[in-house]
Amino acid sequence: MTLNSSMTIDVKVRNTLVDLGVLNASDVRALFQEALHTAENELMEFSRPGPSDVSQAAKVLRDRWLARKGGIVSLIDRNWLKPAPEELKPAVGAEFNALRQLVGAMLSTESLLMSFENAANEAMADLPGRTPRPTAPPDLTLPGRRRPLGSVHPVTQVMREIEDIFLGLGFSIESGPEIESVYYNFEALNIPESHPARDDWDTLYVDSQTLLRTHTSPVQIRAMEKHGAPLHIICPGKCYRHDNPDSTHATMFHQVEGLAVDTDISFADLKGTLDFFARKFFGEKIHTNFFPSFFPFTEPSGDLAISCVFCDGKGCRVCKDSGWVEVMGCGMVHPEVLRHGGIDPAQYSGWAFGLGVERFAMMKYDINDIQLFHQGDVRFLEQF
Amino acid sequence: MKISLNWLKEFVEIPVDPHRLKADLIGVGLNVESFGAAGDDLIFEIEVTTNRPDCLSHYGTAREVATLYRQRLKPLEYTLRESSAPASSEASIEILDPELCARYCGRVIQGVEVKPSPEWLKQRLEAVGQRSINNVADVTNYVLMELGHPLHAFDHARLTGHKIIVRRARVGERLRTLDGVDRTLGAADLVIADAVRPVALAGVMGGEDSQISGSTRTVLLESAWFEPVFIRRTSKSQGLHTEASHRFERGADIEMAPKALDRAADLIVQLAGGEILRGALDVYPAPQQRNPIMLRRSEVQRVLGAEVSWEEIERFLRALGFEVERRGTDGWRVTPPSFRLDVSIEVDLIEEVARHYGYNRLPSRVKPAPARVTGSSVREVELKISETLVGIGYREIIPSPMIDPDENARFTDRPPVVLANPLSQEASTMRSSAIPSMVRALKWNLDRYRNDLKLSEMGRTYTNRAEGLPEEKQVLTLGLSGRRQGASVHGTEEGIDFFDLKGDVEALLEAFDLPGLAFEPAECLYHEPGLGGRFVAGQTPIALLGKLKESLARDYKLRQEVWLAEVDLDFLLKASLRHPSFKPISKFPPVERDFSLVVPETTPYSSLEAAVRGLGLEETQSIMPVDRRRSEELASGTIPGGHASLLLRVTFQSPTHTLASEEIEAASQRVLEALEPLGVRLRA
Ligand SMILES: [Zn+2]
Repeated sequence: MTLNSSMTIDVKVRNTLVDLGVLNASDVRALFQEALHTAENELMEFSRPGPSDVSQAAKVLRDRWLARKGGIVSLIDRNWLKPAPEELKPAVGAEFNALRQLVGAMLSTESLLMSFENAANEAMADLPGRTPRPTAPPDLTLPGRRRPLGSVHPVTQVMREIEDIFLGLGFSIESGPEIESVYYNFEALNIPESHPARDDWDTLYVDSQTLLRTHTSPVQIRAMEKHGAPLHIICPGKCYRHDNPDSTHATMFHQVEGLAVDTDISFADLKGTLDFFARKFFGEKIHTNFFPSFFPFTEPSGDLAISCVFCDGKGCRVCKDSGWVEVMGCGMVHPEVLRHGGIDPAQYSGWAFGLGVERFAMMKYDINDIQLFHQGDVRFLEQF
Repeated sequence: MKISLNWLKEFVEIPVDPHRLKADLIGVGLNVESFGAAGDDLIFEIEVTTNRPDCLSHYGTAREVATLYRQRLKPLEYTLRESSAPASSEASIEILDPELCARYCGRVIQGVEVKPSPEWLKQRLEAVGQRSINNVADVTNYVLMELGHPLHAFDHARLTGHKIIVRRARVGERLRTLDGVDRTLGAADLVIADAVRPVALAGVMGGEDSQISGSTRTVLLESAWFEPVFIRRTSKSQGLHTEASHRFERGADIEMAPKALDRAADLIVQLAGGEILRGALDVYPAPQQRNPIMLRRSEVQRVLGAEVSWEEIERFLRALGFEVERRGTDGWRVTPPSFRLDVSIEVDLIEEVARHYGYNRLPSRVKPAPARVTGSSVREVELKISETLVGIGYREIIPSPMIDPDENARFTDRPPVVLANPLSQEASTMRSSAIPSMVRALKWNLDRYRNDLKLSEMGRTYTNRAEGLPEEKQVLTLGLSGRRQGASVHGTEEGIDFFDLKGDVEALLEAFDLPGLAFEPAECLYHEPGLGGRFVAGQTPIALLGKLKESLARDYKLRQEVWLAEVDLDFLLKASLRHPSFKPISKFPPVERDFSLVVPETTPYSSLEAAVRGLGLEETQSIMPVDRRRSEELASGTIPGGHASLLLRVTFQSPTHTLASEEIEAASQRVLEALEPLGVRLRA
């Protein structure tokens, strides 16, 4: 059996030298040195400001080492010295006598009180009979002993950042199933099968009535049905598209959609809130630009572009020299969609937006390949 | 859609430079992706949204430009030179299904000479991405690009009986389309037929047999209107998407049909000679009427949050082709033009106003949502778990849950959700276990020479159900491999074992209030026998953990042992986080007592700890197994075979006083008594 360095002295003194694999005089010496250092360390520990009841603590320490029955010194006598192999007996005996004297002196009542009254280091230095220890300090330029931390996925980080901004504006978080009915994913959102707009969403189907949601918008309908108006929610989550994977397309990706429905909501709220959000996320220096677009579930519909963060709007490869980068779709909720959610569009109006989280993360961290997010490569993950 | 600037200028004056034009078109929703030179022309690449088929043409785009810059849009007027012979004596048109074909116009042109198009026409078509064929076919494409209305030219001589009949196909009828594909048709297809057989797939593509060729002398030109939903269905079922079907399925302009027809006839005569027979054949059984829409100015204000003037609203709408009449004190009666099938309700009109008013001119305000106390506990729990995982060294991964069904089946008996149209076999199923995704991620890294791995995923599993949507469960997966500590000057290297994984799961569960939490060894499909177990909360298993089975590890070609855990996140998200409740800190010193025990190997440690805890001794602070060795590991005869030595350290501390040695002695005695029934005794 090899000597287990992680074993404490308490364990060692309960084993014989043979059990511990101590087979020669130099091992014996090392073992006794260890016992002595342990006693010194415990004395140093004791001398730090701490126990309110000094005499009790002193008694505990002394008993631990010197008690006739079960004290460490007596255990050494019983387990190390007595059963020691004949050839080691003289060495063990000599070490044992030295140890007993040193520990006895160190832990005498006077010594303990003195060490308690002095500062720890001075007390140690003044102790009589202390064996000289190597004084060369360790090489402090060696690397530190690291306990590696983990990391939160960049998509999760970006998602939480987005969530935090909207939570701060009083929105709450809703979630829903990723495997959805065609009704919630399309029909309720005013995207009938018969309309060519349906082709804008390449869809993975389970069967004719069930699909992998192509956006988190179905959660909006479910939330309207469940909570009614007024409603201020964001819906983060996974979405799926029947897209061949490449550096900008992933079959699975994440979206955050938002929805605000109330009696006094107009396009001005959409603009103000999304402008606030975009500047909070991308930095206050950026500018926002809203322009018309088309989504079957909003009317009027828009896209939000921000001034390119890579070239400050001067034009570059990322923004295709336009100075602007589209970051999300948005619009006033289509009255038909409100109706599908059980909300009267004559009384309430709403605005909504949807954005791709991977895309945001790509812009934020200058990542050029969406596939990196989903491979689980630690060489990627450890950078965030 | 490619738009030529020169062509556009034939219909409207453009008082700005191309950069400005691009920005302004984007501002009204015509997304100009780029523009570039083509000879002396500039070509704009515009992404036209599905609701705006009217802008799939130069004329439609010109209308937006005219509205933008308050310019006059050139009206479409064509005066044709017609011969005295009537077209009706050369051809007849019959619509048998007026639901699907609401209008069919035709003209007959005699004596044409089919030849290559002149350079200017070739160049223009090429500039907008069309291939030149011959002068007659090119004219139909030219007019399509110009006015947005699809046309078709038949070789009149190939039409048996010189008849056009718009009807449903008969089951089994065949047609070879212009792309050379022989198609078998059915009652769901609408065809243009002559007296005996189909000659074109209506609204999608013409037939090869009746196409214009070098020998064509007489042309029958078609300009019709087909029902959008039906064309979309045909185009889908035949797998045939054409410039014509693209426009018809989005909604063509029924009133444009005769105008486009005249424009094309005129051009054909100019380029191919011949003469246009008198009269357009126009079958239009039920002329279309657009329903007027009431537009209230107050509603414009409600939706846009802006006060747009009466005059501006009227100007935008009129310029865009809407008929606008003021009605009452608050609004208008607005009739949309025939080319705007996308506009049918009030808010559609409001969007038109907003587009040309300019989104950037509209006001902006930030109004936080009304404060509401919401149960955001789910997020709180997620953050807590995430924080713990980062603290103990796990890197979060987000793999796709789409996997190979056979792979899934090696880890779970639950039926996964199979996709009907997967992209590949490897991604054809929504997983019902998250473990294979984790094994793959570990493998990915091991294959790339990363050896020390701690990965976590918070994701879902998807289980098929006989009825309703599949069951989605949230699950936390942990994957571990490599060394707890690498070799360095500070210490020797230490490999990961079961207790690293168990300790991590314990750290995670510690955050929760889980009554009846216990660990038990358990078998599992993918664990190495004897190296797996689970945590239960009362009767519910909440975490499975263990070493990946060697046979699986071999199949995955893993270089190292891999340890895996799956934790029921749904359970944790519903469980309450442990609510800290302060206990006063004892002022009195703790006392450690070590018990050097001999324990039968068959007695699990957990039962010892349970026995000691079961005493309910108030002073018992902690119980820690410090050292355990099986009899084989000790000098022979030290302890009996089938037993292990165990050094158990119990810490006693009282909140009220310093423990006297008699009290400690008594407590120690009770500990030994509690252990005795388990066959545990003090080592001699
Ligand atoms: Zn840029």
